[in-house]
Amino acid sequence: MSSSTAPAVLVTGLRKSFRVAGGTVEAVSGIDLTVRAGEIFGLLGPNGAGKTTTLRILTTLLPADAGDACVAGADVRRAPGSVRRLIGYVGQLGGADKDATGRENLMLAARLYGMSADAAGRRCAELAEVFDLDALVGRPVRTYSGGQRRRLEVALGIVHRPRVLFLDEPTTGLDPQNRANLWEQLRLLREGGTTVVLTTHYLDEADQLCDRVAIVDHGRVIALGRPDELKQRYSADTITVTAEAPLPVLDAVARDLADAPFIASLVVDAGLRDGGTIRLTATDATRAMAAVFDALASRGIPTRAASVARPSLDDVFLRETGRSLRDAGPDRAGPDVADPGPGGTGTGAAAEVAA
Amino acid sequence: MTAFFVQTGLFFRRKLVETLRQPVWIITGLTTPVLYLALFAPLLRSLGGEPAFPGGHVLDVFVPGILVLIAFGAGMGAGWPVIWELDSGVIERLRVTPASRLALLLGTVLRDVVMFAVPGAVVIAVGAAFGYHVHWGGLVLLFALLALLTAACSATSSALGLKLKQIGSLAAVVTGTQLPLTLLAGILLPLSLGPTWLRVLGHFNPLYYAVQAARSLAAGTVTSGTVGLGFLVMAAVAALTVCWGTRAYQRAMA
Repeated sequence: MSSSTAPAVLVTGLRKSFRVAGGTVEAVSGIDLTVRAGEIFGLLGPNGAGKTTTLRILTTLLPADAGDACVAGADVRRAPGSVRRLIGYVGQLGGADKDATGRENLMLAARLYGMSADAAGRRCAELAEVFDLDALVGRPVRTYSGGQRRRLEVALGIVHRPRVLFLDEPTTGLDPQNRANLWEQLRLLREGGTTVVLTTHYLDEADQLCDRVAIVDHGRVIALGRPDELKQRYSADTITVTAEAPLPVLDAVARDLADAPFIASLVVDAGLRDGGTIRLTATDATRAMAAVFDALASRGIPTRAASVARPSLDDVFLRETGRSLRDAGPDRAGPDVADPGPGGTGTGAAAEVAA
Repeated sequence: MTAFFVQTGLFFRRKLVETLRQPVWIITGLTTPVLYLALFAPLLRSLGGEPAFPGGHVLDVFVPGILVLIAFGAGMGAGWPVIWELDSGVIERLRVTPASRLALLLGTVLRDVVMFAVPGAVVIAVGAAFGYHVHWGGLVLLFALLALLTAACSATSSALGLKLKQIGSLAAVVTGTQLPLTLLAGILLPLSLGPTWLRVLGHFNPLYYAVQAARSLAAGTVTSGTVGLGFLVMAAVAALTVCWGTRAYQRAMA
């Protein structure tokens, strides 16, 4: 079995229900996904979407009701011991022992994975340096700042050089600088060959950090792929150009452009004074923008303003669920969320806001 | 197997360091039993002639009772830190490691046995100064018996902490059971002082057998049926509760 090509995580038909007062709630309702070895994979979705439950099943913390899950080649149900040796986990709660020092935390974790005291000591020193904790490891974790504690917790998760590292909402509560720092650490881990699986409800985290993303809602994967691919698949770039010319002239420009293959749709609006706006959606924003400038220049029309709004993963979520990921928070998520119906005008509106 | 012992040692050391960092607990752990000896034992002196106190000295009956109380208290405190560790994600993190769940439980159990044995030794020393008769052979077995009791209480408290998950619920259950269990075991005063129904009720309390055996051992009677029964009951209860605690760690969910 070659570990470089085998998937790091293979999940099929995963289901999990919880008993709550007055019935059961299905947190995971048939999730299938494959995480490739060596990638940063994100589970993106609102709170309550089933991301954490999925992660807890994959890390052997929770038994699934149905379905199969293999992590680093080991079956989560049949060989939880093997899975535990091969994975690292950084939970939402962190899990550092606050009364103990950073070093005591790291030493215990290392030795639980079977390292000798010497080897554990060396690994502890190495991690303290990599995570910039040298000055802190002798102090009780209680005295650490949020960012410092998170760095220690990630160090605890990789003390045994796991093949797959799972992180549950790793940047929640971190300031932008610590967030960027953590992203960098995760990218370095990927370069070292570690597969990283994380949950997030931040669009930009999924977009910028993750190689591939599964968008999860109500316990199902509603879209899966590379962030740019998903955005292209579900919505296009929106270009807005304001030009100084009478409306009929702009209409003529629009007719010139209408046949271009990379332009999906095109609208001309009257402007406030002697001008108007050409708004179009394009599959290739760069070429579309150039074409609009060329068409305007060939008629000697001056351009006053131009902007491009790229689609976000929120547009993908909106297309699939009819709600915005930003609004689908813990207090509003659920089956009774207002549903504007499929194919609503949301995409355009979101692009407008972004522009 | 070696991994299991190494892990148990690691968890034991972790828990011991955790306790040593809180000197308040150590101080009260040592002073409480001494206060019992100093402030409660004098009240019993007038009972010296009663049939429940054969052989004269009340401390011979009272000291083993205090030791049982210390053993019970040393074990029953285990559940509180378990809940803190659930809330802070420590247990969740440890459950993702290959560490043995039994080792995780035993780390706390062994620490609690130490937290019984040290104040217990102090009580023996102070009691001896007040006139308690030390029987060395019986004393060693007495500590072994009460170590089993501490282990059973510690495992029970950990399991309750993992199941109940809330400090309030745990406190209610522990204090709610502590009083009837200790009263019906004749810890402070022998049940033989009470009416028949009380003595009958006591026979349904595992703690009662520990107390009976403890009194017998403290008096130097090592080979009585009471001692055998005490060890049998305590060993069975310790084994059951350790199994329960281990299963609770296997299934713990924050």
